[in-house]
Amino acid sequence: MQREQLEFDVLFVGAGPANLAGAIHLKKLAQQNGREIEVAVIEKAESIGAHSLSGAVLDPRALRELLPDFRERDCPIEETDLRDAVFYLTAGGQFRLPYVPPYMHNEGCFIISLSKFCAWLGSIAEELGVNVFPGFAGVEALYDESGRRVIGVRTGDKGINKEGKPKSNFEPGVDLLAKVTVFGEGPKGSLIREVGNKLGIFTGRMPQVFETAIKEVIEIPASNPFLNAPFTVVHTFGYPLGLNTRGGGFLYRMKANRVSLGLVVGLDYEDALLEPYQEFLRFKKHPLIADIIGGGKVLQQGAKTLAAGGWYTLPQLAVDGAVFVGDSASMLNVQRLKGIHTAMKSGMLAAETILAAVTKDDVRASVLDDYRVRLEGSWIQGELYAARNFGQALSRKGVAKFIALGAQFVSGGRGFVDPMKISDDADSLKPGRGAPPPPVQDLDGQLYLDKLTGVYLSGTKHEEDQPCHLVIPDANLCVTRCWETFRSPCTRFCPGQVYEMDTTDEGLPRLKLNPSNCLHCKTCEIKDPFKNIIWTCPEGGGGPKYSIV
Amino acid sequence: MDIVVLVKQVPDTESLVQIAGDGVSIKKDDIKWIMNPYDELAVEEALRIKEAKGGTVTVLSVGAQKAQETIRTALAMGADKGLLVNDPAAEGGDALATARILAAAVKNLPFDLIIAGQRAVDEDNYQVGAAVAEFLGIPHVSLVSKAELLEGRIRCQRAVEGGSVTVEAPLPALFTTQRGLNEPRYASLPGIMKAKKKPLEVKTVAALGLDPARVGAAGRKVVVKALRLPPERKAVRMIAGETPAAIAAELVRVLHEEARLI
Repeated sequence: MQREQLEFDVLFVGAGPANLAGAIHLKKLAQQNGREIEVAVIEKAESIGAHSLSGAVLDPRALRELLPDFRERDCPIEETDLRDAVFYLTAGGQFRLPYVPPYMHNEGCFIISLSKFCAWLGSIAEELGVNVFPGFAGVEALYDESGRRVIGVRTGDKGINKEGKPKSNFEPGVDLLAKVTVFGEGPKGSLIREVGNKLGIFTGRMPQVFETAIKEVIEIPASNPFLNAPFTVVHTFGYPLGLNTRGGGFLYRMKANRVSLGLVVGLDYEDALLEPYQEFLRFKKHPLIADIIGGGKVLQQGAKTLAAGGWYTLPQLAVDGAVFVGDSASMLNVQRLKGIHTAMKSGMLAAETILAAVTKDDVRASVLDDYRVRLEGSWIQGELYAARNFGQALSRKGVAKFIALGAQFVSGGRGFVDPMKISDDADSLKPGRGAPPPPVQDLDGQLYLDKLTGVYLSGTKHEEDQPCHLVIPDANLCVTRCWETFRSPCTRFCPGQVYEMDTTDEGLPRLKLNPSNCLHCKTCEIKDPFKNIIWTCPEGGGGPKYSIV
Repeated sequence: MDIVVLVKQVPDTESLVQIAGDGVSIKKDDIKWIMNPYDELAVEEALRIKEAKGGTVTVLSVGAQKAQETIRTALAMGADKGLLVNDPAAEGGDALATARILAAAVKNLPFDLIIAGQRAVDEDNYQVGAAVAEFLGIPHVSLVSKAELLEGRIRCQRAVEGGSVTVEAPLPALFTTQRGLNEPRYASLPGIMKAKKKPLEVKTVAALGLDPARVGAAGRKVVVKALRLPPERKAVRMIAGETPAAIAAELVRVLHEEARLI
């Protein structure tokens, strides 16, 4: 098929904070230098911000550098008065830490909704003349004849039916060609997977590890004491995950009697019977949290993974014709529980390199590697390097965790072993025996939701008549070894109830997929113990429609 | 064949819809806005007719600045030009007041055919299309599921209870869309690029020669007194059982004894 080609100077794949900041910075720099530059951003979500979800505490450092007048431009900020409280939770009680570790101080930061924030950045990018294309998924990286230089991205075909045949409204994808392509797909991108393996950008690095966050925005009664509490930012550890599973809870005050509530679960968990969504419900039912959200109503729910590997999982940042930014390039600072500012900064540093490279008309990896040099000279390096072993320490069990953390604290992040080893999340499950613990009861459909009501409140919608975007290479494995050993963990780790065990008409067990429920969090591809789930991009425009998370 | 398509920007029904403090409008802050789905059918039908017969497709809307996005979407699908009536005086109208503006705007355009959505999914009035035709003194066919252009006439198929009816009207005429009329195309990426350069004119009520007192909130004859959300859906209950027969028996029992439906 002959595909239409569109040419740009720079193509950003994915409209998250890294790429939007990159596109804005690039346009501004080009203007300052009197240069014309054609910039495009593609995004699989129907609108900018609709697939963006985060806590979110924003350290405004990168924002101030990017848009010093962000206040005058009506940057959507939920809360500026950040006062921290950290709690250790037990099954029925809590203990407030008398001392908040310095890296968890959030004074001077803002509470934001990442989906609102990205929508705002998107509008600024458009004002600057960036071509912003929501609703277009990148499905394939394009290479030159050598097969080593990235020259752009092909967007997905639209209007293909379940059988893979074109419908009457078939619209073929186009080839977007660019001198430099910037991959900012967020954690576990489907293109960086292909590009990375082909060009070896992960070689010699520790495997990336992830955490899955389930989050809600809840409207609470105006009379709720939390709205006048001495703290506005709550972080918890302990119950319900315990000290052997990494993760914790958060609760932030937002505008308009709303709170942001979430639980983050490290995907290196071992218990095959664990269900993150049930842990999230248990967290909500803990008295500390239940008191704060009492009488409330969930307005929106969503889930997303975050790349938590840190410094030692940074990939090679540049190849011929392309660079990698944001969560795709492991820029998150897991110690500070923040990645938006580092993502934005990485996009901006990449933009500086790209402008110089495009000006010289030399986009070889050796030239684009200047981005890494800039990064290593920036405050990102300072943050990430100090936290280089932090996530690994968190993954230690019980008391060992605190010993490792303590050693790092006094040694500037070095600890006893540097680097501490990181293992692939897919390898951590231990065989599951017996039945999972009973699910949380008394779901009222208002404040406590079952998974499907949560999916409904994420606004998730996909064109029903399209090929299934979740590829299971070996369906038989699901009903044999995976069921026998792990009791089909996909039916539990997916927060969208995409995976269900079913029986065929002949009475045989079968894995049933509900791809329309997919929240695009990609927990499945990460956590599947047999790596038997491959997440591909569904038709552009499908997925959640986040607006306030 | 010059075709005018009437479009409206409406809240995405997947959005979080909440009633505002005044009790008669909705909160607009966290809403996503889309082209009314029935208007997508109208744009698609106009483009198909244009592709078959030649001519132009003009997209017309009444709305705030933001409604330009919806017109741009139609332009990206392939329409030729857009016209937005954006005026504070035009805001808050009922179906009739809005139709008055649209009719006045259409009068200044060459047209053989007007296509509109059967209704906008936000207010569900089903009136604007018919009222525009009435103001213009042209025939109106509602809820069309198939349209065919003949010499100087349009032949439309409409679904009726248990079957369909075929009607014809002389041009110029206006018809409104029913689901099944077509499958709207996607706005392509090259289409979006081209749409940026297509003409999109913005006019005020005064420029159309209309009396501001007869349009918008001032011209409203139907007044919204209260807005309520539909009752919360009850959670789905899954019927469990060892065998399909047991599940079926339990389902019958629940339908009979608890729901009292059978």
